[in-house]
Amino acid sequence: MSTLRARSPVSYLLALPAALWMLAALIVPTIFIVWVSFWATRTFSLASPLALINYAKFFSRSTYVKLLVDTVQQSLLLMAITLVLGYCIAYFIVVKVRRPQLQLWLFLLLVVPFWTSALIRTIAWIPFLGVTGVINQALLFLGVVDQPVSAFLYSLTGITLAQVSFYTLLATGPVAYTLRNVPPSLREAAQCLKATPLHVFWRITFPLTLPGVVIGQILVFLNVMADFATASAIGGNKYAFLGNLVILLYDSGQLPFASVIAVLLMLCMLGGVAVLLKMVDIRRLGVA
Amino acid sequence: MIDWRTRQTLVTGALGAVTVLFLAYQWLPMLTMALLSFTGPDGGPTFPMRGVSLHWYRELARVQMVDDFKPPMFRSLVLALACSVTTAALALAAAQAIRARFRGSNPFFYLVLLGIMAPGLLVGFGVAVVTRILGIPLAWYTTTFAVHVVWTLPFGFLTLLAAFNRFDVRLEEAALTLGANRWRAFWRVTFPLVLPGVIGAGLFGFTLSYDEFARSLFSTGSEQTLPLVIFAQFDRQLQPTLYAIGTVTTVVSLVTVALFSLLYRIVRQRTRTLANETT
Repeated sequence: MSTLRARSPVSYLLALPAALWMLAALIVPTIFIVWVSFWATRTFSLASPLALINYAKFFSRSTYVKLLVDTVQQSLLLMAITLVLGYCIAYFIVVKVRRPQLQLWLFLLLVVPFWTSALIRTIAWIPFLGVTGVINQALLFLGVVDQPVSAFLYSLTGITLAQVSFYTLLATGPVAYTLRNVPPSLREAAQCLKATPLHVFWRITFPLTLPGVVIGQILVFLNVMADFATASAIGGNKYAFLGNLVILLYDSGQLPFASVIAVLLMLCMLGGVAVLLKMVDIRRLGVA
Repeated sequence: MIDWRTRQTLVTGALGAVTVLFLAYQWLPMLTMALLSFTGPDGGPTFPMRGVSLHWYRELARVQMVDDFKPPMFRSLVLALACSVTTAALALAAAQAIRARFRGSNPFFYLVLLGIMAPGLLVGFGVAVVTRILGIPLAWYTTTFAVHVVWTLPFGFLTLLAAFNRFDVRLEEAALTLGANRWRAFWRVTFPLVLPGVIGAGLFGFTLSYDEFARSLFSTGSEQTLPLVIFAQFDRQLQPTLYAIGTVTTVVSLVTVALFSLLYRIVRQRTRTLANETT
């Protein structure tokens, strides 16, 4: 018995506002993007005939295709870095730190930046990366280099440095969550049976946290694929990803071509998520 | 071969070093920004600092025309408040509906969660396309609001699902057995018990909307929200004023989180005492 009978008609009424909101502001716009991407005209025109001309244009220019490859490449790079870094951090905080008080503080230090503006955090990286920036001044001071390195600001290195600081949390969180649900007794049992620590990790701990790893990787993948602010703020005009191209085309009024990029971006994201989900049964997450 | 105890210590030390270094790496830019915002009137956007002053904060308060951050900040706060209330209300209704396991509740669950997965830039772009075709004007209190809730609702929804999963259903059953009707039982028993979850949903609604940039980019009209104005100013010129406004909005975000957590703790404490008294 509950305040709502099973399959009560009231439940439809309760679900309706949220469902309508998501349909109107998420599903319908997506359908419109797909529709507009088939418009054969260059600019906005409702009477436009439908054709694949804009898709052909995308795949016939190597600059556009290269942008797609660059975007996917950057996502893969970030996934690799955040996977290792995120796992180490989660493992340290959840398994190695024994004092709950310290655990809480480390966790807060890790999570609190999530509650602040990503844009401000991006801007905050600028004084670090420039020729007269903090990194260069530190390197000069330590004598590592004798001339300032200009490779940080307006470069892929700078973009990657900033992205790692934003997105590692997304990989850490789900791993920490699954790691907390692995009983320490499992590890102890394996150790009693003479398994080496490395063996224990790869045969017991890692497989049990795999759902968390995959969720984290999905979040990092989706965020890096759609990231444009880091590239435009730190990369200057020199570096761009697909998201930046959507903005550029929208600003110059080429709505159909911008939609093509948006559709391709969404397809890549869906494909990536499908591949990642193949690796693990997501419904096991709660049980692991 | 080193013995296992030394090896264990080495591993722990290495992992600890990675964690501490990462935390420093994550926090240093923000702290540097805060520090640089107090540079003197002749100071530039990077080190060395030229004196210490509140010049750039005074500048924030003084400027009236182009770079006035006050109206956008007001808009962002109002928008965040609206998103907070809407998220809490819609998420509460949606999570309660899911409990009834109605036909189609599975697709409904995924429909709501899609809001987290969908790339912000493209959701905003899609809404801009729709409004262009249908001839609806863009405005921060209509289109931006709609797009922000798509982002905040799933977070609130998950928070409330967790709250409904945790609470003791027997309390609800007791109320119904004692003759309360379902409406009354919900508001007198269920709602107070999941209230901490409702507050959590409200927090997500507020902060995620307040800081949102990507989703607002295409969906906002000429009256822009704070992140948009900050980005426009950043695009023109990097000045210490940006560090000042950045520090101010970061403090606003953190104070909001602190206030909500305080409220959450108070309510949870009260809920626990209530639940203990009745059982």
